[in-house]
Amino acid sequence: MSAVGNAAPAASPPLRAIIRGAGFIGLGVIGVVVGLADVLARAPANAENVGPPLLPPSAQFPFGTDILGRDMASETLHALAVTATAAGFGALVTVLAGGLLGFLAARLPWGLGLFSRWIAGVLGAVPTLLLGILLIGLTERSFAPLAAGLAAAPIAFLRSFDRARELSFSRHAEFARATGISRNALLRRDLAYEFRDTFLVNATRALAAVAIILSTVSFLGFGATPPHRDLGLMIGAARDTYFDHWWTATFPAAALALLILCARLAAALEEGERP
Amino acid sequence: MSEPERLLTLTNLTVSRAGAARPELDHISTAVEARETVVILGEAGSGKDALMRALARALDDGETQTGSIRYGAIGQGSESAGVMRAAYLPGPISKPLSPNASAVSQLARVIARKLGAPQASGRAEFAQEIARLDGAPPLAAFEKRAGEIPNEILAWGLLAAALAQTPDLLLVDHLFEGLAPKAARVLEGALLAAKARLNCTLICATMNTDTALRLGGRLIVMRHGRIVEEGPLQRLATAQAHAYTQTLFKDATPRERSAQRGQPVVQALRIALNGENRTRDEINFELRRGASLALVGEEGSGRHRLARMILGMDRLEKGRIVFDAVDIGILSPDMMSRLRRRVAIIAGADDVLDPRMSLWDTVAEPLRAHLHLRGDLVAQYRESALRRVGLASLPGHLPISSLSAFDRRRLQVARAIVTAPVLAIVDEPFRGLDAFAQSVIRDLLQSFRAEEGPAFLVITADFAVARALADEAMVLRERRIVERGALADILRAPKDPYARALVAASRLDVPGTLSSAAAGG
Repeated sequence: MSAVGNAAPAASPPLRAIIRGAGFIGLGVIGVVVGLADVLARAPANAENVGPPLLPPSAQFPFGTDILGRDMASETLHALAVTATAAGFGALVTVLAGGLLGFLAARLPWGLGLFSRWIAGVLGAVPTLLLGILLIGLTERSFAPLAAGLAAAPIAFLRSFDRARELSFSRHAEFARATGISRNALLRRDLAYEFRDTFLVNATRALAAVAIILSTVSFLGFGATPPHRDLGLMIGAARDTYFDHWWTATFPAAALALLILCARLAAALEEGERP
Repeated sequence: MSEPERLLTLTNLTVSRAGAARPELDHISTAVEARETVVILGEAGSGKDALMRALARALDDGETQTGSIRYGAIGQGSESAGVMRAAYLPGPISKPLSPNASAVSQLARVIARKLGAPQASGRAEFAQEIARLDGAPPLAAFEKRAGEIPNEILAWGLLAAALAQTPDLLLVDHLFEGLAPKAARVLEGALLAAKARLNCTLICATMNTDTALRLGGRLIVMRHGRIVEEGPLQRLATAQAHAYTQTLFKDATPRERSAQRGQPVVQALRIALNGENRTRDEINFELRRGASLALVGEEGSGRHRLARMILGMDRLEKGRIVFDAVDIGILSPDMMSRLRRRVAIIAGADDVLDPRMSLWDTVAEPLRAHLHLRGDLVAQYRESALRRVGLASLPGHLPISSLSAFDRRRLQVARAIVTAPVLAIVDEPFRGLDAFAQSVIRDLLQSFRAEEGPAFLVITADFAVARALADEAMVLRERRIVERGALADILRAPKDPYARALVAASRLDVPGTLSSAAAGG
């Protein structure tokens, strides 16, 4: 729920607005592409023998074909839709389970609040990717988006907790308490303004983090399973053919990089919950 | 017995402002007899201001009027309408004069223009009128620039300028608003005496029921551009009046709101700020409604700790504090928080208001959080408070972070006004402000104290600030009281060397400073 503790130096406000604008435009375009994936793709998802196997990019198949004769352009579009949708869901989980809970936990009685922060600190010390794989192992593969969102949540929790503590010890909060504004009213006020001011930044930052976690998990074979292929799985499937047939991994990787780049730009390049 | 002579007849008078949802005046019909005293009473937005503008024939550019105002038996707009002389007397709080020009020259110009005489004659008329008014300051007091003259003095000048026009009809528009109670009472007496002398008709618009009660005569109660009721004040100020009129007399006069006028708001009994158990270090004091006490001392003297103890935010190590008849030592944190709703704080720091909040939300927050009022009522109180502090013209969505220190300070006063507190803690209210802003904040705080009647606890290191806002003082040093008493006595002859040093350091006699202005007021 916050933008506190950025490691990178903050950009000047006009530059920041330009960066964020570019990011949101990119995400908007990706959103449209994802929404129209079934229309834009020439072949349905996972349709084999659409063309000859391992055909390089050409006028007929702009991204070429893979070893099973699948149209790489159509497959990349479908996989981008799967990755973006799952990452969007996971980002929401991160914001709610991390940001919101961190904000609320900071208002708990002193000991309880610090204990919850300590738990989040321990979880946050575990590499996010490993935490994601652990959570998938405890559930099942179809829970990968949820697991990725939860894996990114501890860092968001810590940031949000610290921001809420900073707010509750601020002069304006003390002024409000001194004039009888209740703790609940103050919490509502802080939530409303933090949501307004930082939700988009936090959500897009979490989107980038969750997209990386999900793709890596799928690449390693713990995430998406065919026929629902995401970008990570597509890149992983090209392990055997990539060095001779560059297009089999390059286009899915470029699509993934574009999604992450746009999300990071929309978050004004703020450091976030990184795997 | 002869029939009373009718001076004014209003028939279906409607004043509308372009773009406004409802008319400022909505089909007003009434009549005023010659030599009558009429008090127009209402809250902000009731339409009394528009009525005064219409009577003074001074509607704003965006306002249109329908219906008629007949002066005597002659219609408005006819050539003989000028036979009757009307004088418009605005209140000093509306800043009717240019702050950078001499007050006397501006007032003399007004008189000269109204009488069709040279400006020198206007000045002579003004001087004569000032000399006639019992209790008025000398003519020399008006030689300064208008911006440097306290409202209490400027009000006399405005009154004299209006009376010098020897009017048949005197339109008094919020003359007493923002004045200290004592100053307002003396001015009201002078106005009534002048009315008797000139044998003129007096129409006075006010939102202050005390003023209405003292002026007497006939009362017209207005709300939402309409007349709620009218009649003799003796009747309308009683339980026989309309429910809204009763509310006005109940709510708009905080000092008469309950029988607790003058009762203690804060009683500190055997408090120790330095944690020691010596009797001579104990602090005992009582702060009553309407009173003002200054805690004077430097950083670390214990002033803020004492204030925090009163608010129940710091634990008492010894003694007890009774706040508004409740011993705060027995209260739970939640109950203490509820009790603090009756406290307003105006602090000389720019970070006490949440920079993320908007101007409107900052003022409306206590109303929503404490009173759970309907949206339209919140808007009404918010607008009224913002208008009083001069911020009503700013866009409501403006974030606090974009406001100047002066605006933030005024906003704190507006927020304090809407809470109708029993205690106002005023902590170095002029810190970081320029001289003009200081004088405005001082006037606002004095008006706030006079109209809402809270007890004032002034925290300052500067006796000039204490003198502007408080009647009594306690001088603290190293968490002990070293001197206490009436502020005037301490200023005249401080007994303790530390108090003497603070008085000497306060630059109370430098012309043009807040202190000298306060002394003048």
